[in-house]
Amino acid sequence: MTSATGRRFLCLAAVLLVAGCEGGPQSALAPAGRDASDLARLFWIMLAGAVVLWIALNGLFLFVTRIRPGALSRGWAEGIIIGGGIALPLVVLTALLVYALPLMPAQRAPGDGLTVRVTGEQWWWRVEYRPEGAEDWVTSANEIRLPVGQRTEIELTSGEVIHSFWIPALGGKTDMFPGRTTRMTLLPEEAGIFRGQCAEFCGLSHALMALNAVALEPAEFEAWLAAEAGPATLPRGEGAALFAREGCGACHSVRGTDWAGQVGPDLTHFGSRTSLAAGTLPLTREALVGWIADPGAVKPGAEMPSYGHMTTDELATLSDWLMGLQ
Amino acid sequence: MRTVFKTLAALAVLGALAGGAVVFGGLYNVSARAGHFPGVPWILHTTFRRSVALRAPDPADTPELTDEMAMLGRNHFENACSQCHAAPGATRDATIRSMLPEPPHIEAAVGSWSPEELWWILHEGVKMSGMPHWPSIRDDDVWPVVAFLVRVQDGMDAQAYGEMVAGDEYCAACHGPGGASDNPHIPRLDILSERYVAMSLRTYREGLRESGIMRHAATEVTAPEGDLAAEYHGEAGGPGLPLPGEVPDLDAAALARTGTREVPSCETCHGGARDEALAPGPRLEGQHAPYLAAQLRLFRDGIRGGGPRWNLMAQAAEHLSDDEILALAAWYAARGGE
Repeated sequence: MTSATGRRFLCLAAVLLVAGCEGGPQSALAPAGRDASDLARLFWIMLAGAVVLWIALNGLFLFVTRIRPGALSRGWAEGIIIGGGIALPLVVLTALLVYALPLMPAQRAPGDGLTVRVTGEQWWWRVEYRPEGAEDWVTSANEIRLPVGQRTEIELTSGEVIHSFWIPALGGKTDMFPGRTTRMTLLPEEAGIFRGQCAEFCGLSHALMALNAVALEPAEFEAWLAAEAGPATLPRGEGAALFAREGCGACHSVRGTDWAGQVGPDLTHFGSRTSLAAGTLPLTREALVGWIADPGAVKPGAEMPSYGHMTTDELATLSDWLMGLQ
Repeated sequence: MRTVFKTLAALAVLGALAGGAVVFGGLYNVSARAGHFPGVPWILHTTFRRSVALRAPDPADTPELTDEMAMLGRNHFENACSQCHAAPGATRDATIRSMLPEPPHIEAAVGSWSPEELWWILHEGVKMSGMPHWPSIRDDDVWPVVAFLVRVQDGMDAQAYGEMVAGDEYCAACHGPGGASDNPHIPRLDILSERYVAMSLRTYREGLRESGIMRHAATEVTAPEGDLAAEYHGEAGGPGLPLPGEVPDLDAAALARTGTREVPSCETCHGGARDEALAPGPRLEGQHAPYLAAQLRLFRDGIRGGGPRWNLMAQAAEHLSDDEILALAAWYAARGGE
């Protein structure tokens, strides 16, 4: 590769890299929450500091090797070492530290009232809501909804292995440990749907363990939570009989019925979610039919067994019924 | 050096020609009547004995060989083995005695083998002797036959052998009249639906469900599955037989009814409503606890096989501990009286 092609290639790579950072539902550089904004600003300032250091260091290197390649006087040499090697990093790093340290408590600031408990499972998210003063948790899964402008307490734990909870557009990441509870808070500043991802390798389908975070205006959030807390409105059709015949309720809960399994995600309001299989598939009838017929094909190692013994018609009927659980 | 190589090469060619003449020219006499060359039986038999002794499992893992197991083993022996080895006190027919090697009478065959060696011979079979291997990958259902053979070693007579049956008909010999089994290792059929019994028979016949004993029985009996199921099913009540040992102290009722985050609720599929549209699994209340525990272990270990939904049950049992299996089995067995 000639040096000119090399340079062009580097420029292209840099452009693609920067383009990749811009926007998107899962970018720490497109913040939509207070904590993510702080982190994004910290990143840009750190980057600026790093660029200053890089230019100064390479400038000095250029100076001593090209501009003044001869022996330096003792005064110059000591000036470069003391100025560039001690004073400059001291000033830059101290300034960055003084700026960055006070940001840390805000990332762990107490919440305003609502608590959301997220449990990492293999490979999906158990999500429970408890408004301030409430006793009972409202169970949901694979999607986290938050009120805009309010700081929500996030309690994190895990079923079997270590996971990490990260919604880049809203805040930093925090690890989830079996048998231990960690906490963080999130304060979304604009409404929208953002994507989160497990950020700690947790097994075969770690890369397929995602979730959507939906930030809603407070009034809209209140209405949604009230609806989410209610029992299911069972859709009409043969789907319920198939759900019973296949024993789905042994693992999945549908509140308001006898189906109260705790192994898999709660399905009470399944049809109102924004994705299927923890952010892996779109919530469509076709995707749902394929998922139920063979979850392992979509998500290797998934605990949900295959229902390939059902006919295509049965799978479609069951999927329609599940989509109707609003 | 060269001469040595040439000699070896010449010998190799001659050897190959001689071998070819024996195989392709039909020179070796395969006649069972002609028998073996002198000395060959000794070599074969010694090889057999040493091979079994080397490979027999550790005695520490041998279960207690109870009378109930021996009864089950006796009936399997009667159906699958007695044609060659004859029942205690009976004689082998002339045709069988003309085999090479001649299958020994069971009273001689049991010899002084240890239970583990008997288990290995039954499970693995013996190459080129006519002794088949166990027709299933299961390890546990070989032990009942070992329990029976140990009693033959102890001198069981024809009368004792003849009394070890639960009923007159083929299925009833083990499962009892109408399927009302009183043996903890043999499932009650008098609590199961006709449809489930027929499906189970079909899965044994088609090799979809594991059990050396039932695969033999289901393929030996040629009556249609539906006819057999019509006779062996029912809605009988009463508790099943309990576990032989202590029941682990844990809340099996809660585990069965609501499950945990790792274990699905049993009752969703096996609940008491007995409406098959709502509870697709077979009835478990009143089934014998040792049988239920054995089946749960097979599900958990991914061995059992079964109907089109058996993978659901394997997944459901995947996270059960040994204690949970025993507690659930005991709970369901005791519920038959409710």
